[in-house]
Amino acid sequence: MVRTAFALAFHLYALGALAYLSVLAQGWRGLAWLARGLTFAGWVLHGVGLVMLFSQQGWVPNGFGQAVSLLAFLLVAIFLAVDLRARAALLGAFLSPAAVAVLVPSLWMEGPAPELAEGLRQPLLPVHITVALAGLAVFGVATGVAGVYLAAERMLKGKRFGPFFRRVPSLELLDDLNRRLVAWGFIALSLTLLTGAWVQARIRPAERWGPAELAVVVAWIAFGVLLQARIFAGWRGRRVAILTMAGFGVLVVSFVSRYGPWVTR
Amino acid sequence: MSPPLVVVGLSHHTAPVDVRERLALPETSRTELLQAMAQAPAEALLVSTCNRVELYVVGPWPDLHDRTHAALANAAGNDLAPFLYAHHGEAAVLHLFRVAASLDSMVLGEPQILGQVKDAFEQAQKLGAARGELARICAAAFGSAKRVRTETELGRAATSMASAAVEMARHIFDGLEGKTVLLVGAGEMAELAGKHLVSAGASKVLVTNRTLERAEALAASLNGQAVPFDRMNESLILADVVVCSTASPSPVITKEMVASVLKPRKHRPLFLVDLAVPRDVDPAVHDLEGVYSYDVDDIQKVITENQAARAAAAAKAEVLVAEEVARYIRQRALREQVPVLAQLRARAEQIRRAELERALSNLPAPLTPEQAKVVEAMTSAIINKMLHQPTAKLRAVQSGESELADAAAELFGLDGAARKAGEG
Repeated sequence: MVRTAFALAFHLYALGALAYLSVLAQGWRGLAWLARGLTFAGWVLHGVGLVMLFSQQGWVPNGFGQAVSLLAFLLVAIFLAVDLRARAALLGAFLSPAAVAVLVPSLWMEGPAPELAEGLRQPLLPVHITVALAGLAVFGVATGVAGVYLAAERMLKGKRFGPFFRRVPSLELLDDLNRRLVAWGFIALSLTLLTGAWVQARIRPAERWGPAELAVVVAWIAFGVLLQARIFAGWRGRRVAILTMAGFGVLVVSFVSRYGPWVTR
Repeated sequence: MSPPLVVVGLSHHTAPVDVRERLALPETSRTELLQAMAQAPAEALLVSTCNRVELYVVGPWPDLHDRTHAALANAAGNDLAPFLYAHHGEAAVLHLFRVAASLDSMVLGEPQILGQVKDAFEQAQKLGAARGELARICAAAFGSAKRVRTETELGRAATSMASAAVEMARHIFDGLEGKTVLLVGAGEMAELAGKHLVSAGASKVLVTNRTLERAEALAASLNGQAVPFDRMNESLILADVVVCSTASPSPVITKEMVASVLKPRKHRPLFLVDLAVPRDVDPAVHDLEGVYSYDVDDIQKVITENQAARAAAAAKAEVLVAEEVARYIRQRALREQVPVLAQLRARAEQIRRAELERALSNLPAPLTPEQAKVVEAMTSAIINKMLHQPTAKLRAVQSGESELADAAAELFGLDGAARKAGEG
C-alpha cells in the first residue's frame, strides 16, 4: 500500500517534470497548469504514503531512503508554493526534475523500522528532523532559483536573446525570491541547531559534535552573514546567487554525512 | 455543403491608406448598412478598423456576393471595385478566423484586432443582425483566436525599438511599476521611448538635455521632471532605466561615472538603452556588476529574434486556425444532418405503427397483452436493426461529405425543403 502510493507519486512527479520541461521548450502556457496539477497530485499521494509509513515508526525517518523521500516531499511543497506565488513555471523545468532525481534512491528505501529504542524516544526528535529537512529543501529551492538567476544574467550580459531568454523570469523577481527563501531557510537552520542541541543533550550528552553538526553551524554562519550583507551592504544578484549555491553545498555535505547510505547507525 | 457566408472588403493588403481612409464609415452609415444587409433570413457583420473594412453576410440568395459587393460599394463610392476582395463559403470562414487570430494583421499577432472584431459582433447582435449561423461562426472564430493566443507565442514578442526596450526592461525588473526612467536627450526618440515606458507602468520620468528648455518641454508632455545636464550623476543615482539619444559625438555616460554611483544606488540593477549613433554610453559600462547596457545593434538583435519567433508562431497558429475551421465545418455538418436522421426515424416509426395496427386488426382473435408486447418489440427491433448502419454513418459524417445526407433524403423519400428549414 505504502509502496504503491510512492510508486504512483514518483510517476506523477516524472510526468509533471516532463510537462515543466515542455513549458521551457515550447513556451506553451496551458502546459504549466498541467505540470502543476500532475506535480500536486503526486505530492498528495507522496504525503499519504509518508504519513502511513511514519505513523508505524514513531514519526522518525529511518535510513537514507526515507530521509530522502521526506526531503523530496518538502522540496516539492516549497517549490509548488513558490511557483504558485511567482507564476514562474520555468523554475519547474529545473526543480521538478531535481525532485524526481532526489526521489530515486527512496524507491529502494527501507521498510518500517522497529520501534525506537527507549532512549531515542524524544518528542522533539521528529520536529528536529522535519525542520532540518525543511531547511535543506528551502535552500534546495533557493539554489534552483539562484541557478536560473545565473543563467538569466549570463544571457543578459552575453547579449544572447534566444527563445529561452524570452521565457526566463526577471532578475528582480528571482533575486527577491532568493531573499525570501534564504531568510526562511535561515530561520529553519536556527531552529534545527536549537532543537538538535536539545535532543543531543538528552540522548548522547557525552558525545561531541560531528562533521554533520559542524557543517550546519558553518552554513548557519555563512547565511547569517549573507543576510546581513544583503540588508546593510546592499549585496544582491549574482554574488548572492553564487553564495546561496555554496551554502547549499555545505548543507548537502551535512545531510549526506548524517544519512548517507554508508552511515551505520 | 459549405456555409452560406460571403465576405467582401478591403484591407492593408489590397488598398493604400488613402483608400482605407475613405471607407472609415460614420456610425450611422454603418448601422444603415448592417440593417439593410441583415433583412431576415440574412445576417451581417461589419468589421471596420484603420486597416480593414469587411462586410460578412450570411444569406440564402444565389447572388449573395453581388448584393454584398453592391452594398459596400454603395456605402463608400463605386470606384473601390479594384481594391475589393471576396471569399465564399469555407474560405470566408477561414478568413474571419485568421482576422480574429491576428494572422491577417499588418503587425502579426497585434492584440487589438480580436477586441475590434468582438465589438463589431456586439454591434451586429444589438441590431439583431447576427442571430443564427453568423453568431455561431463568430463564436467559433473567437474560440480559435483564444487558442492561438494561449497555445502559441504569437504576439508575445516586441518588434519596435521602443517596445523591445520595454521588453528588455521586463527581463531585469519585475514590472516597471515604481521605477524611475531617465531620458538623456530630448528628441523624438526620447519622447517615443518615454511614452512606451510610461504606458508600461514606469512611475517617474526625469529628462535631461544640454538645452534645458527642450528637456522641460518633453518633461511637461510626459508628466515628468527636467534636470540640468551637469547633474547627471545625481540623476543616475535615482534612475532604474536610462534611455540615451543625444547627438553627442562622444559618450555622455562613462564607466567611471556609473562605477561611482553604484554604492549610493545600493547596487540596485541599472538598465541603460543607448539609441544614439555615435553611442552615448561607453560600452565598458556593461562590464560593471548589476549594470546592463545595450546599444542600437543589441536592441535590433532582440527585434530580429522576435520576428523569427513570430514567424514560427504564425506558422503554428495557421495550423491551429485550420483545425478550428475544420471543426466548425464538421459541427455544422452534424447540425445539418440531425433533421435528416430525425425524419428518417420518424418515417420508419410511422410505417411501423401503421403496419402493426393493420396486422393486429386482421387477426381473428385479439392477442393477450404479453403476446402484443412480443410483436411490438419484434417490429421495433427490425426497424432499429435496419436503421442502425444509416444512423451511424449519418452521425459520423465528416465535413464536405454531406452528399450522404442528401442521398439519404433522396433514397428514403424525405422532404428536402423541410430538411433545409430544419437547420438551426
